[in-house]
This record gives sequence, C-alpha cells and structure tokens, in this order.
Amino acid sequence: MTAQGRVSLRGMRKTYGNFVALDGIDLDIEPMEFFALLGPSGSGKTTTLRMIAGLDTPDEGAVVVDGVDVTFAPPGVRDVAMVFQNYALYPHMTVGENIAFPLKMAKVRGALLDDMVRKAAAKVHIDHLLHRRPGQLSGGQQQRCALARAIVREPKLFLLDEPLSNLDAQLRLETRVELKKLQRNLNVTAIYVTHDQEEAMTLSDRMAVFLEGRIKQVGTPEEIFNRPNSVEVAAFIGSPPMNLVPAHIDGRTLKIVGSSIDLDWDPDCSPGPVTVGIRPSHLRVDPKGIPAQLYLSENLGESRLLNLKLGDVLVKMRIPESVRITDSETVPVAFDAGSIHLFDSESGLRVSGARSGSV
Amino acid sequence: MNKHRRARVMRTIVLMIVASALLLIWILPLIWAFVVSLKSEREVLAFPPSVIFEPTWSNYAEALFGDFSILDSLVTSAIVATSTTLLTILLAVPAAYAFARLRLPAKRSLGFYTLATQMVPPVGLVIPYFLILNRLSWLDTYQGMITVYLTFSLPFAIWLLVSYMEDIPWEMEEAAFLDRANRLQTLWHIIIPQVRGGIAVTVIFVFLNAWNEFLFAVQLGGNNVRPVTVAMYNFVSVEQTLWAKLSAAALIAMLPVVIIGIAGQKQIVKGLTVGAVKGGGRR
Repeated sequence: MTAQGRVSLRGMRKTYGNFVALDGIDLDIEPMEFFALLGPSGSGKTTTLRMIAGLDTPDEGAVVVDGVDVTFAPPGVRDVAMVFQNYALYPHMTVGENIAFPLKMAKVRGALLDDMVRKAAAKVHIDHLLHRRPGQLSGGQQQRCALARAIVREPKLFLLDEPLSNLDAQLRLETRVELKKLQRNLNVTAIYVTHDQEEAMTLSDRMAVFLEGRIKQVGTPEEIFNRPNSVEVAAFIGSPPMNLVPAHIDGRTLKIVGSSIDLDWDPDCSPGPVTVGIRPSHLRVDPKGIPAQLYLSENLGESRLLNLKLGDVLVKMRIPESVRITDSETVPVAFDAGSIHLFDSESGLRVSGARSGSV
Repeated sequence: MNKHRRARVMRTIVLMIVASALLLIWILPLIWAFVVSLKSEREVLAFPPSVIFEPTWSNYAEALFGDFSILDSLVTSAIVATSTTLLTILLAVPAAYAFARLRLPAKRSLGFYTLATQMVPPVGLVIPYFLILNRLSWLDTYQGMITVYLTFSLPFAIWLLVSYMEDIPWEMEEAAFLDRANRLQTLWHIIIPQVRGGIAVTVIFVFLNAWNEFLFAVQLGGNNVRPVTVAMYNFVSVEQTLWAKLSAAALIAMLPVVIIGIAGQKQIVKGLTVGAVKGGGRR
C-alpha cells in the first residue's frame, strides 16, 4: 500500500470583508504524520483546517491531497474525518447510530456495519455505551464517541479541531496520550488544531505556528522550542514564553541593561542593536548578576515564577521553590551566554544563539 | 422552616384560585353550550333558564344526520385542513432550511416580504382573493380554498421552523457533509429529526387555523366546498335560531380541536416560548 494522506497547501488566501484570515499559507504535511496547527485564536489555524476538510474554500491558492487538487471538491468526496470542538454528535441518534452514520452514507449495511461500529467503539472503549444517546454521556464519553465516528470508516485524513478543549484538565492529559496511541495504531495522517502549545508539543511529530493569518515557522516541537526563527514565535512558544530584552552587540561583546557580557561563541552578526531572547528557566539568581527589581512572585507549586523589572523590560524568571526570595527586593539575575537567542532588532528574525550556533 | 412551608402552601392556594377563575372564563361558555345542546329547542328559550330538564341526545343526531346535517361539511373541513397542513409542511420545511442555512441572493428582503404578508389584515384580502379565484374559476373549489389558506399558513410555518433550525449548530451539518451525506440526506437524517418538535407545533397551529377559519370560507366557498364553520350557520335563519342544534354542531366541530389541543399541549407551549431561552426551543 502506498502511503496516503499527503497534504499540500499552496498559497492559500482567505478574506472575510476587510479581515484577512489567511495570508498566503504554504504547507506540506507528510503521510501518517501527526501535524499540529498551533496559534492563538483568530490566527487562521481553524480556517486552514476547514479548507482541508472542504467546509470552506480559499479565495486564492490550492489544497492538494495525494497529488489531487481538491480545493473546490465537496467535503464528502475527500475521504476526511473530523472531530469538532463541540463534537457535533447527532443528539437524536444513539452512540451506535452516530458511529454507523458515515458507514450508512457509504452504503455499508448489515453484519459488516455492526462489526465495524463495534470495532471502532472498542478502540476508544465505548463499546458498552452503544445504546445510549449523546445526552446521556459524560464529556469524555462524548468525545470518544466523536472519535469513533471519525475513525470508523478509516479515512485518509483525520482532522481534529481542538478536540480536548472541552474536557477537564485531568481527562485532557489522559485523552492526549490515548489520542497519540490511536493515531499510531491507525496509521493515518492527523492534523490537529490547538491553541494549547503543550498539546501541540506533546502530540505532534511536526507543527506549524500560525500568527495573524500566516505560518511563522514549521518544524518539530524541539526545533520550534529550541530555535524559534523570529521574535514573534519566541514570544508565543513556551509557558511563559521567552523573555525578550533589547541589547547591543559588537563582536562577542553583548551590552545588556547596562552590563557587558562576553559570549563564548561567535554570534556571527554585524555590530548594532539586537533583541536577546532568554527562557525564564535559563535565568538564575547570582550575586554577580544584573540587578533587577522584584515586581511579583507567583507560586507554581514545584517552582516559583518571579516577575522582575530588568531595566525598562518586565522579565519572568523561573526558580526552584527552595530558593527564598523576599518581596520588594533587588534580585541579581544572571544567565549562561550559551542559552540566549539573538534576533535582529528590526526584522525580528533569528540571527543566532542557543546551543545550535548560527542559522 | 414552618413559616416557609406555610407561605408556600398559601402561594399554591392563591395560584389555584386565580387559575380556576381564569379557567372558568374560558370554560363557562362551553359548559353553557353543552347544557343547551342537551335541551329541547323549547326549553332553551325558557326564562328563567330551566336547571332541571330531561336531557336528550337528539340534537346531536339531528346535527349529524338531520335536514341540516354537518357531516359532509366535517369531511370538507377535514380535507381542507389536512391538505393545507400537509402542503404547508412539505413546502415550509425546505423553505425554512434555505432561509436558515443557505446563502441566497436577496435572502434578507425575501425573508422580510415573507413576513410582511402576515402584517396585512386578512379582511383586506377577502375581495382581492375573491376576484383572483373568480378569474381562475377556482371559487368554491378545494384547490382555491387550500391555496388561499396556504398564503397564510406558509409564511407563519416558515418563520416558526426557521427559528428551530437556527438552533441547530452548524457543525452538526458539517459533520454530516464530511460523513458523505448530501444536502437532502442531511436535511432528512440530521435536521428534520431535530426539529420534530417544531414541525409538531407547526402542524397543530396550521391545522387549527385552517379548521377554525370562517371569514374566507364563507366568501370563497359555496355549496361544493362548505367547511363546518360555515355549515353551522344553517341553524341560524331569519325566523329563528335553533340554539340546541347549533350548540350540538358547535361542540362536534370543536372535538378535533380539543383532541389535538390535549395531544399536543406540550408542543404548543414549547412553540409559544421558542426563542425565549437560547436553545430552549429544541427537542
């Protein structure tokens, strides 16, 4: 069997009145990949998913699946299944009937239909609930029912639109693991829309970061976390995201908030202003560090998040719970020169930094 | 604790008294008509009204099978009301779906004009409709009467059903499209089952309106198509009114209305409150 489920998006644009929802989306998704579309609300990720599903059409550009241009093909012929954020279960049908519906529309009948419904339900552990109505199920069970309905006819593409966002925190963690396992077992391309970067990081093989109708970066979760290609991505990824501090570089000397730091690597950029990115966990308290004013201390249980005023910039620093800090104190902040990222202060694009050297 | 319970009991009692008083206003004429229908024509006219009399069912027999039998008219009413109802549902469901879901050119103005037909006082339409039907030679025909009734029932039905259909989340339909259902299959398998309540309300209201209609029936009907509301007037003449038989006929004519009312009361209340609470009209 040749690998199915290769998706290519070519220059997709979509506007709603004056609002530009998608501004030139180009993306390639490989067969059997678990691909996350990550971005804040209104960034165009759901619109993109709907165009892959065929529920919406782009003003410009094309959707190509397995070499076939399906831009204007109706959803029914695309062989895609989708799990909606609100599950969209049919309330007047039982769980069994819900799962059977796509098969019935595909003219599957009789014992084969029953068998397929039972197997799909068993995969998501709801085979004992087939006679219940969606209204009689818990949120988690409804979600499984929606999953079963999506996988029952073994689609080419498996689309998920924030499927976990209506579950409580505990259930979300459990379902996340199962979802990943399910996709592995089904050997199907999954495209997953989420605004939760933790979900995107843990689930996906690769992901695309959407901001304001554009894709800012595509890569593995590690690549995007460790090497954000712009200030925008850096400011979005991570919880809390990277601190961005204006600085000045000249050769290997970095001037930041009145202090001079010698880098132990070659930043490979012309002298001038830069933006320095530092993850909150890469900051530490050091008596020889740059003095910063403590603004607020948040207790996160295992760690403590300090909001500090470093010069004119508010930065966040994550420290172990054991480090004692009293309020309204000056905290000396230091960091390893190897853990910083440098961005061009004008274009916002990555220059170099953090373990990986220059780009 | 005790004080609260007493207050609750008091409130229930007051509520029952008020409700009974209101109910009495509606039910008293019916009781009166029922009593009259059991009297002879002479006893009806006695003054003061006789309380003790020998009840007779002969007025019912007379109304159904006598000289001015309403039996044929009952059949006529049933044909007119049922046909109007069926055609209304058949046309209003797809129309409402189109208004609720499709992107149509001039949807807003179409919607307005559909609703605007409901704003014209019916009495102003009697003469135009008479002239139109006359031109078509449709006076005193079933197709004429039913067509005229459809002009009233369709806008009403469409707007009632639109509000039910708009309550259904879009994703439900999109899920069906992805499951390879076409639009008609989606309408049949997904939308219609979910607006069953709305369809029931529409059926009840349209049927009752068509059954109870008098103004157009008396102008546009005739000897061939004479609904029961018109036929009852045979008991009223210049010389005398046959009150007992008229009451019996009225009560018989009311029977389908009462049966439908009792059977559909839950749906009727839902229909009246549709849109009052978001999503409250569904199921």
